Amino acid sequence: MAGSGIIDYAMWIVLLPILAFPVILFLGRMFNGLPQWRDGAKEGGIISLIVMGISLLLSLLLIMEHLNHVGSASIYTWFTSSWWDGSTAVMDTKIFGVGVYIDHITVMLLFVASFLCFLINVFSIGYMNTDPINKDRNHRFYAEFLLFCAGMLGMVLADSFLWLFIFWEIMGLCSYLLIGFYYERPSAAYAAKKAFLTTRVGDVFLLIGLIMLWDMFGSLDFAVVFDAAAIQAVDAGSLQLALGMMFIGAVGKSAQFPLHVWLPDAMEGPTPVSALIHAATMVNAGLYLVARMFPFFAAAPLGSMTTLAIIIAMVGGITACMAALIAFVQKDIKKVLAYSTMSQLAYIFTGLGAALWLVNNGYETLATVAFGASLFHLFNHAMAKGMLFMASGSVIHEMHHAHHEVHAHHDGEDGHDDHDDDDDFDAQSMENMGGLASRMPITATAMLVGSASIIGIPLIGGFWSKEGIIANAWQVALKEPIFMIPAMLILICAGMTGFYMSRMWFMTFAGEPKTEVAAKVKEQTAWIPIPLVVLTFVTLGGIIFAGLHSTNWLGDSTGGHFANFFGDHGIVAELGHAFANHDIFFFILTYVTIGLSSIFGPMLAMALYGGSLDEGQKAKGWMQWLINLNSQVKTNFHFDNSAWANSSLSRALDNRLYFDAWYDAACLKLVVGLANMASVFDRKVIDGAVKGIESSTQAASSKVRSLTTGSARDYIMMAALGTLAIFILIWGAA
Amino acid sequence: MGQNAPLKIKEREFILVGLFLILTAAIASLFPNIASPNPNGIIDWISIPLVGFPILSSIVLLAFASQEKASRRTKLDSPVRLACLAFSLVPLGISTALFFDWLAVIDWTNIGYNSYVIKHQYVWIESIGVSWHVGMDGLSFPMVWLTSILVPITIVMTWDEKNGSAYHPLLLLMGGSLIGVFVALDLFMFYVFWELTLIPMFFLILKWGGDERRYAAQKFFIYTFTASVIMLLGLVTLYFLQPIGTGAHYGELTGRTFDMTLLIDSARSGNLDGGTWLGIDMQKAIFLMLMLGFLVKLPAVPFHTWLPDAHVQAPTGGSMLLAGVMLKMGAYGMMRLPVAMFPDALMYYQDLIMIIGLVSLVWGSIVCLGQTNLKRMVAYSSVSHMGIILLGIASMQPIGYAAALFMMFAHGLISPMLFAVCGAFKHHYHSMEIGSMRGMAKWSPFLAVYMMFGWMASLGLPLLAGFVAELMVLLAYWPTYGWWILLPAFVLVITAAFYLWSIQRTIFEGGDEGQPPESLHGETPPDISGHENVAMFLLALLIVLFGVMPFIALDMMNSWSNNLFEMVFAQQGGA
Repeated sequence: MAGSGIIDYAMWIVLLPILAFPVILFLGRMFNGLPQWRDGAKEGGIISLIVMGISLLLSLLLIMEHLNHVGSASIYTWFTSSWWDGSTAVMDTKIFGVGVYIDHITVMLLFVASFLCFLINVFSIGYMNTDPINKDRNHRFYAEFLLFCAGMLGMVLADSFLWLFIFWEIMGLCSYLLIGFYYERPSAAYAAKKAFLTTRVGDVFLLIGLIMLWDMFGSLDFAVVFDAAAIQAVDAGSLQLALGMMFIGAVGKSAQFPLHVWLPDAMEGPTPVSALIHAATMVNAGLYLVARMFPFFAAAPLGSMTTLAIIIAMVGGITACMAALIAFVQKDIKKVLAYSTMSQLAYIFTGLGAALWLVNNGYETLATVAFGASLFHLFNHAMAKGMLFMASGSVIHEMHHAHHEVHAHHDGEDGHDDHDDDDDFDAQSMENMGGLASRMPITATAMLVGSASIIGIPLIGGFWSKEGIIANAWQVALKEPIFMIPAMLILICAGMTGFYMSRMWFMTFAGEPKTEVAAKVKEQTAWIPIPLVVLTFVTLGGIIFAGLHSTNWLGDSTGGHFANFFGDHGIVAELGHAFANHDIFFFILTYVTIGLSSIFGPMLAMALYGGSLDEGQKAKGWMQWLINLNSQVKTNFHFDNSAWANSSLSRALDNRLYFDAWYDAACLKLVVGLANMASVFDRKVIDGAVKGIESSTQAASSKVRSLTTGSARDYIMMAALGTLAIFILIWGAA
Repeated sequence: MGQNAPLKIKEREFILVGLFLILTAAIASLFPNIASPNPNGIIDWISIPLVGFPILSSIVLLAFASQEKASRRTKLDSPVRLACLAFSLVPLGISTALFFDWLAVIDWTNIGYNSYVIKHQYVWIESIGVSWHVGMDGLSFPMVWLTSILVPITIVMTWDEKNGSAYHPLLLLMGGSLIGVFVALDLFMFYVFWELTLIPMFFLILKWGGDERRYAAQKFFIYTFTASVIMLLGLVTLYFLQPIGTGAHYGELTGRTFDMTLLIDSARSGNLDGGTWLGIDMQKAIFLMLMLGFLVKLPAVPFHTWLPDAHVQAPTGGSMLLAGVMLKMGAYGMMRLPVAMFPDALMYYQDLIMIIGLVSLVWGSIVCLGQTNLKRMVAYSSVSHMGIILLGIASMQPIGYAAALFMMFAHGLISPMLFAVCGAFKHHYHSMEIGSMRGMAKWSPFLAVYMMFGWMASLGLPLLAGFVAELMVLLAYWPTYGWWILLPAFVLVITAAFYLWSIQRTIFEGGDEGQPPESLHGETPPDISGHENVAMFLLALLIVLFGVMPFIALDMMNSWSNNLFEMVFAQQGGA
């Protein structure tokens, strides 16, 4: 089906950043060090901003065009090949195409990706170009950044699983390059390798899944494989297996248990990269892939694929709790956010699992709601987490800055030029922060709103979608007892989220500054506040999206429509649905969830961390009341948690439950050991055999050589013997 | 200064000789057509321009250089390499022009089975049925193109090699004889060129190699020569067992022919409708003899141990051509002879070939992980990738064959890139040990970029040349062999692991100051020189080009594979 309109230009959304990638590298190589390049072009930042701006504009136009209908366009043949059926001797031509496919899922993710990439680009210009450690190498950052964005946008727009995989891998490469941006640090090099290899394990299974799918359908194009008749024609068991393989790929990319180990280490990259990879783009790729499986579950025979749906939800539930637990003990502000990402993505997996289970069992209306809620949570989480990472970057950046000033002050000389690698000050540790609410008002507000959205404080962003996910997981749990496990896990996790996110905010922004550096922090870098403010309003505006009934729109990618905000399915209905559910079970569930996430968790955090600001400091009104509440709770309910902090569980959590250690040991001892043995075997045995043949031949030939005596008598003797032998042979033959 | 004066005349002579040779080639290439008009009316662009000219001109250049006294020979380096570069552009120009239909209108995606474009045949030894028979189809043209692309790039890459007056002509000779293997349509001629390729490579390793070059050169020569003798045995058996025929190109004395096209036709008609040409046992015997020769050349485990030694000792240019084209001779031979002639034997040994391929793939990659020498690691990765070609053949699907062909082409671009990186590394860091230094990105950003690019291409990153081939092989593999696919999948992870690990220990790390290798004795390592940059850039460009637009080469490979299946296997009534 040929489209017309903006969709014909959709490929430029991807092509522009790809083409700009070598351009920035080349210009950077040419002009590095020139003041115009450094200050005017921001070492490529302005170029990439323009490119991302055009991509965003095109994306928005495309989104407007396809807000309510499915479209596909520009299908070119990439290459063709043939399949030969031996039994019938028929040659079947297989076409591998390339094109653009747009439905509601694409529209939502396209908006998330292009909008956040653009904002992160704005943030990067503030963050990267003012950090002396990045001097004269930011062009590399912007080039890789653009390629990464192209990978994500391409993956979202692709019209086949093949091109989805191709861009998926390109993103993997870019994440490798960006995580290893500070290549000279061994930890960054290690983290980059770990990220690539861990996701590669998943990718390989994804590839196997795609191959199985191709074998079943003869194509990987969405248009072909989503055909209901074709899906019913294939064996549901094999289809489930193929999708299961693909799900392993999603697990790797979205950092779910047990392939989650790469994500926290990936914080070695610069903070904009963390925002990009861990919030806006790459980790959502796995969710996108699972969301794309919806048509298979919808068309397959009833109840034939529930196992996979349950596995998906289980992986989600386990990861959600595990990550939240580890987040309890993290001191690094970015690591808390990393584990929080993992945990929130796990929510979405559980929601998708519930949706897939529902649709495969014929509960189509419920499935639509569950699916929509999951995708809506993806949207809310991406916006909030992108903002949280950028806010944490803002904190870290200003901490660095303040540290420089303190450092310079102490030395009594200009200490700006050399970077503070030489001392032990950790600008990312929350134990060095505190009391920043009054010193960094914009950042603190953004952090507050973002955390509220992640926790699910009523009426703010993530609340709407998280409620939906938990409710729908319980919907399934009522029908399928085994689903109780993930449903219960994510319910408990809601409270845990409330605790660790509040802990992060109170440790960072409330209380008195814990170091001299924190007391000197000021919000002063240009460019950085822009995305923070924009995203604060987007997150607060979650209620508008909820009122527009986005869950329905997202859930039904062919027929769903936005509702009138004040209309029948608008905000009143949503509010009623959330807070005054007529079903008593879900009514109670809602308030249990709210109680856990918004009251119990934050209260516990307030009792342990934070406190009132230091003398003379006063935060903005919308934060000051919270800090006052915090100090009251802390004085009245503070308790000693050192027993817990010194427990073996706490130590295990500090060591990330030893997963990394086990994996490292398995890789190094087992695989590398095997490889070393193989290498010795190859040299000694296989090549040894060759050498053995060689040396025995040489030995034999030196024996034969001894016949060469040089004496004429011997030669005549041999000639005579030979003649005799020939005569005997001829005689015998005759 | 006085000494230089006579040499100036020498340089002029060289230019004159070069122009003369080009002119001769141009005239000679027209000549056969004038003498005996070709049925399809196309000028013989193969015999002289693609094969004869590079070989003859390199011999002339070698002869010239050897006439000079050793003391003055270094002065010849510069004009000789210029001449070599210029001469090597002739086959490139011709083959590219043929592809783009500038010289003749050829429908590359529609060449009938066992019919070739610009096929030319001249009687050579009438008594035993030997002819000079050349032609190209979807199987050989990509290989010819690849060779003609690689030779000039290799010359540029090794621009400042010592004793260049002999080195560069040897590369040119190598290219000519490799093209000869690919265009030969006569078994005799095929074998002559097959062995001819050994000679320049032997001298390249022997004279420009590393410390153990004598051992490596001898091992390379004896090992592959022994294998090709077994192959020769198979060819001779084939020759004598074929049914006696009459007509042109059948020997006057023997009544038999060395002509491949006639043999393949004879095989096809013999195999029609369930018949077995030469009998199934003899098919299997000849199939095995030929396959052994090709498997050693490929090389497949366990016949691979000559390769790492040869590569580690060989100079950069030798390694680039060895890995880029010479290994593909084995795969090419399989496709051209045993596969096309003995479909029953192929089906009988299908699983064996699959197992050999799988073992090569897995073993090669695991051994890679245990290597500490950069070049050795890359050499073993070649073994691993050649296993993929065997898997493609064993899949018995057109998509698998097309994939094997594209793998040959893609690996022919990627592996020279890898060896160019290794060569540049050795050249500037005087070391090959992985982990002897850290932080290469700091001193040699270009080399670091090319290294990362090459490594990524080799581990099968999408949109680079290798990916499409690997994907297609796996697509063909799964329906036939099912869950055995886990092994190739495991290899994909291992491949990524050893490449990334070596990147981590060379390009990355090192702190702010970096950590240069001890072999430099405290000097600051330089980045790659200009000519290396140009050569590697061109290779990188080609890898991206064929990764993004695989159809350029894949279309003709695909049609060749389809044709093969329709004509050869469709007659067998099911695999």
